[in-house]
Amino acid sequence: MTDTSVQIESLWKKFRRGERHDSIRDLVPAAFKRMLHGPPAGHDLRDDDFWALQDISFSVGRGEAVGIIGHNGAGKSTLLKILTRLLQPTRGSYSTSGRIGALIEVTAGFHQDLTGRENVFLNGAIIGMRKAEIARRFDAIVEFSGIGEFIDTPVKRYSSGMNARLGFSIAAHLDPEILIVDEVLSVGDYTFQGKCVQWMQDTLRNGTTVIFVSHNMDAVLSLCNRALLLNHGKVLAEGRTVDVIGEYYRGGAGYFVELRPDVFARTIAFSSTHDETNVVDAGERVTYTHTVVADRDCEISPGLQIRRENRAVVRSSYARMRGEPLRLAKGESTTLDWSLFYNFPAGAYTVSYFIEDAKGGYHDFMNGARIVIVGDDPKVKSECYVGMSLVQESERTLSGGGALKLIGRR
Amino acid sequence: MLAALRNATTEVWDHRDLLEQLALRDIKLRYKQAAMGFMWAVFMPCLIVLSGLIIRYAMARIAGQTLVASDVANIAVKGVGWAFFVGALGFATASLVGNSSLVTKIYFPREVLPLSAVAAQSFDTTIGLGTLLVLLPFLGVRAHMSLLWVPALLALLVVFTTAASLFLSCANLFYRDVKYIVQIVLMFGIFFTPVFFEPSMLGTRGAHLAMLNPMTGILEGLRITIVAGQDLSRPITTLVHGVETPMWEPWELVYSAVWAIGGLLGATAMFRRLQPLFAEFI
Repeated sequence: MTDTSVQIESLWKKFRRGERHDSIRDLVPAAFKRMLHGPPAGHDLRDDDFWALQDISFSVGRGEAVGIIGHNGAGKSTLLKILTRLLQPTRGSYSTSGRIGALIEVTAGFHQDLTGRENVFLNGAIIGMRKAEIARRFDAIVEFSGIGEFIDTPVKRYSSGMNARLGFSIAAHLDPEILIVDEVLSVGDYTFQGKCVQWMQDTLRNGTTVIFVSHNMDAVLSLCNRALLLNHGKVLAEGRTVDVIGEYYRGGAGYFVELRPDVFARTIAFSSTHDETNVVDAGERVTYTHTVVADRDCEISPGLQIRRENRAVVRSSYARMRGEPLRLAKGESTTLDWSLFYNFPAGAYTVSYFIEDAKGGYHDFMNGARIVIVGDDPKVKSECYVGMSLVQESERTLSGGGALKLIGRR
Repeated sequence: MLAALRNATTEVWDHRDLLEQLALRDIKLRYKQAAMGFMWAVFMPCLIVLSGLIIRYAMARIAGQTLVASDVANIAVKGVGWAFFVGALGFATASLVGNSSLVTKIYFPREVLPLSAVAAQSFDTTIGLGTLLVLLPFLGVRAHMSLLWVPALLALLVVFTTAASLFLSCANLFYRDVKYIVQIVLMFGIFFTPVFFEPSMLGTRGAHLAMLNPMTGILEGLRITIVAGQDLSRPITTLVHGVETPMWEPWELVYSAVWAIGGLLGATAMFRRLQPLFAEFI
């Protein structure tokens, strides 16, 4: 008995861009062409081929939870499809031990004209449950989904949330040894989502191996102890979840700001007192140092923005703090020190710096200049006061952004 | 090929509950929100029998003869068999592409999709056969020892239909115009298969040509054993305008069996080989 659940060795997957011949009418002329020009070269990469996965190797231990993150098109879904036997790798091998359950598009097997009850049996069979098994768990499935009395109504009359809840409930009762989850924990309303997360944690505690694909970094962070970052089909980073998420954000994930066409102020240096690691303890204080230079006489407002999952948590700028923009002469440079009190809930945060003009246009915007993973500290969790820190009267003009404070200008 | 069949059989057997659920789904959907309800099951055979009767009536009129009860029985028996073949193939051909959301998202042995289409059609045909069972005595059909052949013939029909279903569903996944080709072939296939007529009506050479159609042995076998009450183990001839013309040759049975079993082996092997590509090419 080995303690490896999933073993992937040097996996490659090739896809073809563009159209294929998918009617016999197209095939006949193509076959003639091949006869005249000889067959296309065997396994080599042709012009219209591309590698969706390149040399992927990793293993997942029994009972381990591994997160797979990466941009859209990084190869996450392709990898999952290979693991769930939907696609065949072009090269390489993989092995899995134990029944695989997939929480991917949980309503794929539903038929709209059938009732909820009929769909439970149909979908359960599709994902690999025996009839007796479904019958035994039927009440639990309905109970979990919260569908209640509507179970004998055709699912076409269900709301999309009800649909997803029922689908999730069926899949959640498959009781697999390896669970593959692709971005489904966000179905249903707030209450149901809580139920899903609770269920995931129970599943993990029961020793189920979990492979978790998500763009929700907080979820990955809280569920997985190890993660894999894919980029254009290659493994870019593998290791502790916090480090891998840091790597992901450094790639500039998912946030784009357009600069104004005529840029005349630039950042020439940015550093922090916490540059050696991404991980910050809750409640720690970090100072960020931002140096800007002006290419002509101007009024600008440099600042910092802290985001979590693309939502700004704290944002502040010079003008906001001082009530007036920063005036620089042509060629002049200045350095600003920002102090940030990390009294934040645990999670992944990105620190971005920017240089704004008076009208909200940007001269500079460095997305994800630093990635910060705030550790889980039960003491802090309950008393987080981002955005409502009490500042002394004498500092009132400096108090705009709550936990973010402009210390001074050098 | 045998290994492929064994693999497929084991895997499908492991997923027999899924096969049942999918067939049940197809049956339910056919009768849910359908104006005709269970009339559907006999609608297609009825149409086939009616059109056969019109053709036979015209033929009899020109020959200066009249239609007899056994003519109706002949067409009815073969009509039910043909309706099964056409219905199953029609549903099965589209079964993989029609369930593409399943094929691209969830793994299970894909054979269950065409197989469930055949199973759902079998349900309809069972109703048709039941109706036939009630009607045949009124058309002068009596029980004979030759009825013992019927289960074997029905098994051949199912095996042959399954083989064709596996092959065509798979072909339609890769080449979408297969569905239209199948539609057209099935539409005119009834004229190339002895449903409305008997091979002996085509003369000796014509009869032998007609027997090359693997469906001939099955449908004619059903007709001869059920309506004519004759044994299939020896050749049967009939007098047409004073000429002795072949009506049945025992090799037809072997020939149809070779098509059915060989076809099933070949189709399963092909299906197994291509199955890993389904999700990518669909």
